[in-house]
Amino acid sequence: MALAGAVLLGGCQEKLTSPGDCPALCPGGSPQVVDEILSPIIGADSSFVGYVKPQAAPALLVSNGLEGFEERAVMRFPPRSDSVGVRDTLRSYTVDSVAFGFTVLARDTLAPGLQLLVYRLPPFIDSTTSYAQLDPAFIPENLLLAVPIPDSLKTGTIRAVVQGSDLSRVALAPADSGVLSLGVRLDSPSFTGVRLGASAAGNGGVFLTYATVAIPDTGTAKLRTFPLTATFNTTLPAVPEVIDSTLLTVGGSPSARSLIRFEFPSRIRDSATVIRATLELTPVAPLTGLATDPVRIVARGILSDLGAKSPVESRFGVAVDSIPVGTSATEELEMVRLLQQVWIGESRPAGLVLSLTPDLESGSFSRPVFYSSRAADPAVRPRLRVSYLRSFPFENP
Amino acid sequence: MRAAWLLGVLATMPGLVWGQSSQFGVRGLGFPGRGLNARVIASGGAFGLFDSESSLNPAALAGATALTSIFTASGAYRTVENPAGTASTRDTRFPLLMILGPVRQTGTALGVSYSGYTDRDFSIVSSGTLDLRGGAVGVTDTFTSRGGLSDLRAAGAYRIRDRWLLGAGLHVITGSNRVESRRSFEDSTFLSSVQRAEISFAGFGVSGGAIRQMGPRFAIAALVRSDGHVNVDRDSTRVATVDLPYTFGLGLRWQLAPKLGLATQAIVRTWSAANSDLVVQGGVGANNTFEVALGGEFTPDLQRPYSRPVRFGGRYGRLPFPLEPGTEAHEYAVSVGSGMRFAQQRAGADLGVEHVWRSEGVHSEHGFIFTLGISVRP
Repeated sequence: MALAGAVLLGGCQEKLTSPGDCPALCPGGSPQVVDEILSPIIGADSSFVGYVKPQAAPALLVSNGLEGFEERAVMRFPPRSDSVGVRDTLRSYTVDSVAFGFTVLARDTLAPGLQLLVYRLPPFIDSTTSYAQLDPAFIPENLLLAVPIPDSLKTGTIRAVVQGSDLSRVALAPADSGVLSLGVRLDSPSFTGVRLGASAAGNGGVFLTYATVAIPDTGTAKLRTFPLTATFNTTLPAVPEVIDSTLLTVGGSPSARSLIRFEFPSRIRDSATVIRATLELTPVAPLTGLATDPVRIVARGILSDLGAKSPVESRFGVAVDSIPVGTSATEELEMVRLLQQVWIGESRPAGLVLSLTPDLESGSFSRPVFYSSRAADPAVRPRLRVSYLRSFPFENP
Repeated sequence: MRAAWLLGVLATMPGLVWGQSSQFGVRGLGFPGRGLNARVIASGGAFGLFDSESSLNPAALAGATALTSIFTASGAYRTVENPAGTASTRDTRFPLLMILGPVRQTGTALGVSYSGYTDRDFSIVSSGTLDLRGGAVGVTDTFTSRGGLSDLRAAGAYRIRDRWLLGAGLHVITGSNRVESRRSFEDSTFLSSVQRAEISFAGFGVSGGAIRQMGPRFAIAALVRSDGHVNVDRDSTRVATVDLPYTFGLGLRWQLAPKLGLATQAIVRTWSAANSDLVVQGGVGANNTFEVALGGEFTPDLQRPYSRPVRFGGRYGRLPFPLEPGTEAHEYAVSVGSGMRFAQQRAGADLGVEHVWRSEGVHSEHGFIFTLGISVRP
């Protein structure tokens, strides 16, 4: 009997699942799915510019007319001292060679024959320096070197060395306080562009000096290396961007973000279970940019509605989608987690901010522009397609 | 030793037989419990109105000879068939806990029991296709219920000159039911959803019973019980009141021979009282039920009546909550079992095995229910 009890109770696993023969075996019926389109509040959506400045961008843009105009990268390195301390004594050194390094983040792999043209610029450039101010410096006399980008290179570091008689071209004069500034253009048989690493992302331009320090007392010479990374860099477009605030612009430089507000019905917020939410945006024009370098767009909920300065929820509920260059199709951004976790779970305002992903903000050739709620044609306005389950009518009992 | 071997074989059979949770507990208040001890179940329930260690008839408490605690466990293994398919499931329940004992030199006995009133443990899975956003999307729905109603009884009984046993009981009907509706989509862009609710129940009932010993070989028992109504709260909000049935029972016991006792009983419950309340809530409704049982107990050794008795029986009944309007579910069962006492009869174990068939139209199920009762007399 004890054995019987042990066996009986030892098999306490339950397997309760039966095939459902509705409606006989479906108390309360089946869950009802509703598909509803929500429109944004008319006139309450807009674009705002200036979130990420070009000098804080995670990438530098260099093109020879990809967008119809040229874009150049400029960078300034910190002062290089003209002496080095050896055994408590400052000693002068002799430059043997210098090297420049650049990181290629993205390029059109179908465009061969690229090379970066590196120019020496007036030393003191900053965020107020314009394309027009520096354009006269991009002359053959200031060309330091041409750095070929191997056709096989998709991403990675390229490096060029200056030595011998060419070293005079990179000599740092005391009047310049030892500061070197460079400008980078793109040379290519076709219109294309390259995204280069920037100091904000920790992979900006590198200026490396190899020197020999002569020590007379000992008759020996020591080799020294002075690595410098750019402390300032930015992208200078030939044509400044113009943002139409009646459209929804995302990206560009300085970066633009778009704020869209919705009326979120309480019948959904309070008692429905959202199973899918798709933000549909109609592009104004086919997306331009660097081929094979898709742009990633991100939607984040807002913690409070403060207009352009609305703080966004970045911990969860973030919706991301990739848009291929050249597409003119309606962008469909799946954002069910944003609705579930931010709008409903956190009871935040029913608004969202569209931007490019942080690694692309102010660092992408692509700048998606979508119609806003102000569009005359309602069919091209933003819309949020929400699929949800109504509250299940559990039988009592 | 041979009996222990047989019982061991019986107990291992659940591992060989595949079964499922009853589909006839899906609607209404669930699948009704019986409040019977393992030894009564082994005889088809026929001795239920006479058994002091079951919570059916409060008058039977007067038959208690010592302070006793009862623990009952059951494992059900069934195969379910309906138009959506066939499935095998299993479940384990603890349908009866009881403590009873006589009050010395008074002729009275008192007892407290906790038994299952209805069982609402089930999971139902169905699949289909929805037209969503212009395309067909496959969905799978799972409706799960856990819990049910329980019957907490406090009862007393009085013995009048060994001829009459009279008893009365107060019942608290309580419990909760956690229900969950889950839908998943084949298209992963649609998130699975889960909606839950907790339904709680509260009600009171009274019962009265009598047993008349008519000579040394014959006895008759009667039961009347009213459960009033049960209040139904969903997520702490009162949503319904459901009338519960009156119960009428009549039982006969006949000691055919010194070694063979027979019994039969019939029980009627007026579950149709709940019909209108359930229909208003969107349910199918409820029907009155009738249950009749016939069984016996053969005692091989009269010197040791608790050693290896052979119990057998059968029963027929109707179930209260139909799956579809206008229909009625039926239940048949045959049973067998035995038991033993040990530790100077201070402890005992009983095992009952039922083979059950249930059907209602195109819905049917069959399987085995193994019930083990442990009794301790400290």
